[in-house]
Amino acid sequence: MTPVTVVESWIEAPLRQFVADSEVELALLLHPSGQVLAQHGFARAVDVMTACALAAAIHASAGELGRMLDGRPFRGLHHAGATRQIFLGEVLSPRGAYVFLTVFGSESSLGLVRLYFDELVASLNAAASVELPPSSPALAEHFERDLDRNLAVLFGRA
Amino acid sequence: MSSPFTPMLDALTRQRGVRAALVASEQDGIVVDSSLQIGQSGDRVAALAASLYRKARLSARAANLGGVSFMQLEAPLGRLYAVGAGSLVLIVVAHASANVGLIRVEMLRAATELPALAGGSAA
Repeated sequence: MTPVTVVESWIEAPLRQFVADSEVELALLLHPSGQVLAQHGFARAVDVMTACALAAAIHASAGELGRMLDGRPFRGLHHAGATRQIFLGEVLSPRGAYVFLTVFGSESSLGLVRLYFDELVASLNAAASVELPPSSPALAEHFERDLDRNLAVLFGRA
Repeated sequence: MSSPFTPMLDALTRQRGVRAALVASEQDGIVVDSSLQIGQSGDRVAALAASLYRKARLSARAANLGGVSFMQLEAPLGRLYAVGAGSLVLIVVAHASANVGLIRVEMLRAATELPALAGGSAA
């Protein structure tokens, strides 16, 4: 089984549990800026980078569409493809907002993913509420440097 | 709000010992309609039971046993039953003391109505 790799250790146990329970193929946790924090199932750093950029863009677009249509941002998105599906959700935690992207096939289902996503959010909130140093803000001028550093940590190049 | 499935689900929950009756999508595990007693989490039961039913059906097919007609799960505090029809699964949660035979008959009868009701709900 592809391991879960994380930039910040408090994310590891909740994400590992989510992957085991929901049987998803891919999972990504990122800052809304597109900065990666954890991944499961990806083999190449470039794929993580691309998925993060796209997930952040979709999250921003969906949020703005929600504000326009409903007066508040949409917080979840599901798309069913022919063989695989994606689910994109927002994680609100004491350490800030994150975006969660997961890809699943016939081994899982939208119901299971939503169920275990709710549990993941609760677990991340519990883990984040333990005394932790504050997250450093994702600054535009450091974005590439931080992204390279995070990808190096995730793929064992740090 | 009622759906074409509501009378069928209400009839099932009127059976003695039945705590919840749900119609869910087998593929997605999402609740289509439900009749629940207090304390039952419809979304959770539907997601897990539909997944279980789907895997039971695939297991039966892999073992050349044919289709799954009726699935029963026994636990210390009760039982969970599921029958499939088309893309839907009918799920019932009942106390351990509930009359299995009666529930089974009612569920199998209800399952034959599911495709027609689903067609009605889609219209």
